Amino acid sequence: MKGLSYTIALLVGLGLGFFPSMERPRPMWWKAIVIALTSLVIIAALMPPLGGTFFEASLASRLETNRPKIPVKAHVLKETKKFDEARQQWYVDMRDFGERQMTERIFFKTKDYPRELENANVAVVNVDFDKLTRSFTAQEIVTTDPILTIPFIPALSERTRNLYFHVPMAWVAVLAYLISMIYGILFLKRKDLVYDIKSSSAAALGTLFTILATLTGAIWAKFNWGSFWNWDPRQTSIFILMLIYGAYFALRSSIEGDERRARLSSVYSILAFVTVPFLIFILPRITEGLHPGAKGDENAGPLVSSSPDAINPLLSMIFSASLAAFTLIYFWLLGIQIRLKKVALRSSLAAHDE
Amino acid sequence: MYDFLSQNSLYVVLIITLSVWLGIAFYISRLDKKVAELEKRIVD
Repeated sequence: MKGLSYTIALLVGLGLGFFPSMERPRPMWWKAIVIALTSLVIIAALMPPLGGTFFEASLASRLETNRPKIPVKAHVLKETKKFDEARQQWYVDMRDFGERQMTERIFFKTKDYPRELENANVAVVNVDFDKLTRSFTAQEIVTTDPILTIPFIPALSERTRNLYFHVPMAWVAVLAYLISMIYGILFLKRKDLVYDIKSSSAAALGTLFTILATLTGAIWAKFNWGSFWNWDPRQTSIFILMLIYGAYFALRSSIEGDERRARLSSVYSILAFVTVPFLIFILPRITEGLHPGAKGDENAGPLVSSSPDAINPLLSMIFSASLAAFTLIYFWLLGIQIRLKKVALRSSLAAHDE
Repeated sequence: MYDFLSQNSLYVVLIITLSVWLGIAFYISRLDKKVAELEKRIVD
């Protein structure tokens, strides 16, 4: 299911990226699709409230020292609503959406039973778990009958939403370097300078997205792992990748003559890409690290884990939409840069002829 | 600042989203500069 939606995202991104042609102005409908998709992703990633399960709420209260408020999404079992004489509090039983479908009693701090819950079937309630009495107290009612909620992941909380922006950056970077290599090969076969333009533009954008993946990752790391840079295997490998492609641009700017530069940098871009699968996909999985899916980590991360409750189908679709949206933004920029460089090449050739 | 952000993690998401857009905006402004250079060269 997940694999299918990621594949569709890849196909949509590549399909709309290459057709209609990258070397002509993008038609209006194309731009409209990209803008609509991007807006949709931002809204879907930022607007819906988080909604977890009782199990996660009790887990999170064990993980954190100050009693956190955990949003739990659950059915309101209206018929169980009652006033507890001993505690002098209203309570209601709620059944969550987790695999275990746990039913828990929720006490309310307010004097009256909250009116929002009278007619609600499903509610997201911020609860606080008391370890001593093993009971949940509602701090506030976030929303009732929500259309969409984002799964709560203990230790990530609101930062779960970063997934929709951080991961696509790395995805687009790999795609960009792959395209750079393919155009590099095409240049060596056909000796047409336009392929060199395409190859170097793809690599430049790949570097932009690599830097963005690193930057967004570093900010996220500060709040989850304690410091901006931890030399986690993925951080180390992306740093090496930046050095490798940094050398690519250093090489390009140090060679005189378009033909020679194109030939050498095409060869280099092929060699450079050979390291990408190893640095991005293999190394971080065979060494111990902080990213999900590292060696000895049973949790493969919400995006690739095969566990059904890791990420729900709707959210894997939002994530796929985000992949497609950023892929298309990449292709949009790539097209503009290629057209620009082609004009520059033609004008310099024309000047040469005169 | 750190305490505020670690308690209100939605703002961390905001910073990350903004840094993505600022990165892309930076790239667009670089492209813009290249177009300007090219225009100058062609007109001269």
